[in-house]
Amino acid sequence: MENVLTEMPSLSKLYVNAAATAAMKRLARSVPVVALPTRALEVRGVTADLAKLTAFAHLLGKPARDVLPSGYIHALAFPVAMGVMVQDDFPLPLLGMVHLRNQVDHYAAVRFTDVLTIRAWARDLAGHRAGTQVQLVVEVRNSDGTALLWRGVSTYLAKGIYLPGLDKPSPRPAGAQREPFSAPQPTAQWRLGVDTGRAYAAVSGDFNPIHLSVLSAKALGLRRSIAHGMYAASRVVSDIGSPKPEAFSWDIAFEAPIFLPATVSVHIADTRADDGGWLGSEFTAWNARSARVHFRGSVTAGTTQP
Amino acid sequence: MSSPTAENTTARAGTIRKAVVVGGNRIPFARSGGAYAHASNQDMLTAALDGLVARFGLQDESIGEVAAGAVLKHSRDFNLTREAVLGSALLATTPAYDLQQACATGMEAVIGLSNKIKLGQIDSAIAGGVDSASDAPIAVSEGLRAILLDLNRAKTMAGKVKILGRLRPRDLAPDTPSTGEPRTGLSMGEHQALTTAQWKITRQAQDELALASHKNLAAAYDRHFFDDLVTPFRGLTRDSNLRADSSLEKLAKLKPVFGRNLGDAATMTAGNSTPLTDGASTVLLASEDWARDHELPMLANVVDGEAAAVDFVHGRDGLLMAPVFAVPRLLARNGLTFDDIDYFEIHEAFAGTVLSTLAAWEDEEFGRTRLGLDGAFGTVDRSKLNINGSSLAAGHPFAATGGRLIATLAKMLSERGLVDGRPARGLVSVCAAGGQGVVALLEAR
Repeated sequence: MENVLTEMPSLSKLYVNAAATAAMKRLARSVPVVALPTRALEVRGVTADLAKLTAFAHLLGKPARDVLPSGYIHALAFPVAMGVMVQDDFPLPLLGMVHLRNQVDHYAAVRFTDVLTIRAWARDLAGHRAGTQVQLVVEVRNSDGTALLWRGVSTYLAKGIYLPGLDKPSPRPAGAQREPFSAPQPTAQWRLGVDTGRAYAAVSGDFNPIHLSVLSAKALGLRRSIAHGMYAASRVVSDIGSPKPEAFSWDIAFEAPIFLPATVSVHIADTRADDGGWLGSEFTAWNARSARVHFRGSVTAGTTQP
Repeated sequence: MSSPTAENTTARAGTIRKAVVVGGNRIPFARSGGAYAHASNQDMLTAALDGLVARFGLQDESIGEVAAGAVLKHSRDFNLTREAVLGSALLATTPAYDLQQACATGMEAVIGLSNKIKLGQIDSAIAGGVDSASDAPIAVSEGLRAILLDLNRAKTMAGKVKILGRLRPRDLAPDTPSTGEPRTGLSMGEHQALTTAQWKITRQAQDELALASHKNLAAAYDRHFFDDLVTPFRGLTRDSNLRADSSLEKLAKLKPVFGRNLGDAATMTAGNSTPLTDGASTVLLASEDWARDHELPMLANVVDGEAAAVDFVHGRDGLLMAPVFAVPRLLARNGLTFDDIDYFEIHEAFAGTVLSTLAAWEDEEFGRTRLGLDGAFGTVDRSKLNINGSSLAAGHPFAATGGRLIATLAKMLSERGLVDGRPARGLVSVCAAGGQGVVALLEAR
């Protein structure tokens, strides 16, 4: 079953609706819903905006190409995923959700002239020691939907939300203690100003209040504003780049949030074939002072099967 | 395709080997403020390089050296070419440098890199150029710059306040780039207007040359000549300045824009002058062995190059007339005359520039007194001149024009092959600001 929209949902309206819905849910419902809606949301006839695409690439210090950068595709498709999460029967509150992981596969180069079909659905509602997690799958296809071009799976955590029937809160099991992080030599250092969140919001359209200012972040329980996870992902993925934009994949797991302003140390390490050809790169980023890991992941030549 | 002699062996140190043009790639050129209004030099050079890499399968290749440049350049782009390489699919072990010789930037990149290949210092190279008249750098005024630098050096708050007190409203006016010559204050168009009048080039002759440029370029696009030389960018598939439906009547209606103080002698219009343009071009150069090893085509040899400069400040020669001197020297060194040249690619900064150049070569007195010859240097067969169009139609993103010309000519030569049993030959001539010019000789493989 699916729901086809004729135009992209407006992110700002979705955020406002999300706040209202969250309040109403608290009032109206005593027994929370524990199943995900089975509907997918689909928007057809989507094209990139060349001016926004250019601003996006330039914010990351990269040349603006005709081929859409990975992070921009995520931003372009994000309202559809949001649309899934604000549906009445979606069991978790949208605001305050934490981004845990992103896995993206590029099956073809997506150009700004391409007319796209974007489809999103939720899956794998599951317990997490700190709340409830859910995956949002986003597929970007060609105009008639026959060819898969890009696929992203985002894992989100609704902190402190425990749904009946799913795992209960528990301390971190002893065996699962993280290895103490021993920082390698950085290959780069990002100096992120307080306006990093606002700047990324302007080019991505993601005006989630937790990224915009200290005040708006405090309203949602954070001590300061934090950088968008997708800013970090877009930047590190474009720093690494792929010689073949039509076939690569990347995976990022977010750990400690990047409170702004911040100095983030980044380490990139390549894996190469005997002939020097690039096979992939691993990356890690951490706070230069506290050595807390912000995120880690990899970019890999080729893709996993859809 | 046969080679004239058996010199095709790999260079030992100190010997000269051949440098070949493998091919080229550029993005369509756009009138300034148009399709590339919000594209940076970095965007455009990267796009041209991406297309070249894709066309010749250079992903994960380390190239001997990449050289390119821009005439209008932001100070942050000090490593423009290296940054483009880093953003490309070339291996990061590819060295790169920026160079700048005004409108001859692309030509100098090709000649310099070819020489390194000939000497055996490198086996492959990419020459390029890019310019944006739309995304031009704007600097703060000299007054504000001095104040900001002094502020940075001031140690005390009182010192800073005192320096800030020097700020005047006029200091806030930005400093924009211009096409004016620093020593004469005349724009390039005004300079050419003087030369055009000096050589008595008529309005009609200029309009005819402009029309031929548009017709030839349009015809070349129509027969798919540029399919393997141009990659679309930002929705543009052809040069946006191209007017396939132009006519002498339309061109004749335009009002003169340069040399208006010359009264009735004013002949230069927006139609027979090149507009400000955005764009980028690249050319892949290689040794014969490298091209063979990579199973890549060899279109033409880069035989020789020559630079010249004139004293336009004291008015002895026109600003854009340096190629008039460079070409006779280049041909003499190679034992050639105009009769031995099959294609002439003379950059159309203005129709008047091309026609003044041709007139000078045809002039008996100029040949004797200025070129040191017995008489006139020679006449260019107009049926061999810019036969696939040139800058009047395509536009002229300053540093990108050399790469466009070299790649276009190399393909023409390759298609022509042999002429009277010898490889077809082509001459490229590009004038440049500062009274300079760079010319090159290519021959078919």
